[in-house]
Amino acid sequence: MDVFATNFRTLDWVIVCVYICIPVVIGIIVKKYIRQLSDFILAGRSLKLFIAIATLTGTELGLVTVMYNAELGFKHGLSAFHVGIIETFCILAIGLTGFIVYKLRQLRIMTIPEFYEMRFGRNVRIVGGIILALGGILNMGLFLQAGARFMMGVTGYSNPAGLKLFMSAMLIMVLVYTVLGGMVSVVLNDFMQFVVLSIGMLIGSMFAISKVGWANLFKAPPMVDSASWFNPISEGSGFGSLYVIFMVILTFSAGALWQSGTLRALSAKTPKVAKQLYAWSSVSYLARRVIPMLWGVCAFIFISQSPKLLAAFQGPDALNSQFGMPIFIAKVLPSGFLGLMAAGMFAAFMSTHDSYLLSWSSVITQDIVAPLKKDNLSDKSRLLITRICIVAIGIFLLIWGLWFEAPVSLWNYMAVTGTIYLAGAFTVVTAGLYWKKASKTGAKIALYAGLLAILGIGPWTTGENVPFYLSDKFIGVMTFLIAFLGMILGSLIFPDKTKPKEVKR
Amino acid sequence: MNWAMLWKVVLIFTLSGYSLLVIIVIFGGAGNIVDMLRDLRKPPDQD
Repeated sequence: MDVFATNFRTLDWVIVCVYICIPVVIGIIVKKYIRQLSDFILAGRSLKLFIAIATLTGTELGLVTVMYNAELGFKHGLSAFHVGIIETFCILAIGLTGFIVYKLRQLRIMTIPEFYEMRFGRNVRIVGGIILALGGILNMGLFLQAGARFMMGVTGYSNPAGLKLFMSAMLIMVLVYTVLGGMVSVVLNDFMQFVVLSIGMLIGSMFAISKVGWANLFKAPPMVDSASWFNPISEGSGFGSLYVIFMVILTFSAGALWQSGTLRALSAKTPKVAKQLYAWSSVSYLARRVIPMLWGVCAFIFISQSPKLLAAFQGPDALNSQFGMPIFIAKVLPSGFLGLMAAGMFAAFMSTHDSYLLSWSSVITQDIVAPLKKDNLSDKSRLLITRICIVAIGIFLLIWGLWFEAPVSLWNYMAVTGTIYLAGAFTVVTAGLYWKKASKTGAKIALYAGLLAILGIGPWTTGENVPFYLSDKFIGVMTFLIAFLGMILGSLIFPDKTKPKEVKR
Repeated sequence: MNWAMLWKVVLIFTLSGYSLLVIIVIFGGAGNIVDMLRDLRKPPDQD
């Protein structure tokens, strides 16, 4: 069986081309609703529960999400499911308690660093804004690469130039409609993505399961260790107990404070809706993990049954493991449905991209440029700067995606780059909201500590016999720990001279 | 611990729970969109 053989036909190309024009049209139509910055960034804080669930899921269930989770399933088997379970419980806990998100929505802020200023002053906001933008932009650095690999695998386009071609074309589409419509077009497109992608993923799962067989799904393939295939605590699974601890800390902090997700909570109509949004979305967080992982597992079982396919993923010239799932669905899904899935995935790619572009560019505008200008910026200037940032970030992503190859799996790369921001942000926001003694110095130390996570994407994290202290999971856990200790010690040793500001609006 | 059984339950719960959520959100979300666009047409200071 040819590795890049596919059921993708002319009909599928037509479906993809028609489908991906829809977001651009929506962007143009809704431009008339954008009158002020809060309309552009937060859709006028008018999101009710169900549309908020759809848009949160649309953002968090992107093509990249599908790719990194499928890669985890492909590489680690069913043991990868533990990440989904951990994340689901974390999101549910946030939804039931309202931890962080309820209070943040009450404050009517647009970005997390805005809270830093309310509680700790302008300097902390600028530092936090820079670190947030750095971590966030690096985090989406491989989105284009992963998206292009998906399109290559599904369409069967194996030409080496394909990666560059697909990446450039995808980026242009995203930039056009994000710059035009802002959050209102993002919300409408996210809803469409949610409907098409969710139905497509559920039906696609049926195809995948029927191809490998329900019973085979719960048997480890002969060439892998049975214990590692199922048990995430087993060190042979590629995870281990330290990794599980890292996932608990990371998914809880990301659930509460990942800017693109939190932006949805801040866009909710009321603080109560923000809280409900998390509780309901715990199911979609589970699905966004488990369903792609299932596809990855099915892909591995399917590929392991064909010596030629298996050989393509082994040896020095092995294909990147991200190709496993797209190559599998290209052979399993029928033409027509495959086109719809590819279109849905591509649109999902755009919906995630637009939200992230909007998140990081609004952080640069609101939390770095505006405070540096002492807030002497009109709404019109802010909107212009936000749009310029969107394009500038897009160009950076293209360059970064073309030359950088992550030393770890796509998800681990994202986990570590996310930690750059999350370690500091989670500590600072939690302490700022719930600890009266938290001081400016403690906040700055915690934010700077997050930068340690950059060590987790260095070349020393991969290869044979990597000492545990150089592994990405150890670096990730330690970064959170140092940020936490930095906050406590910094606040106790260097308390604020004035009483902390009362944070309310 | 029977990991295979655990993952089987997780998978069944995910597929059925998510199917239900999708149906609820499709119907609820359509109504919410109409409300959102109506809210955005109001003058900016009305909220």
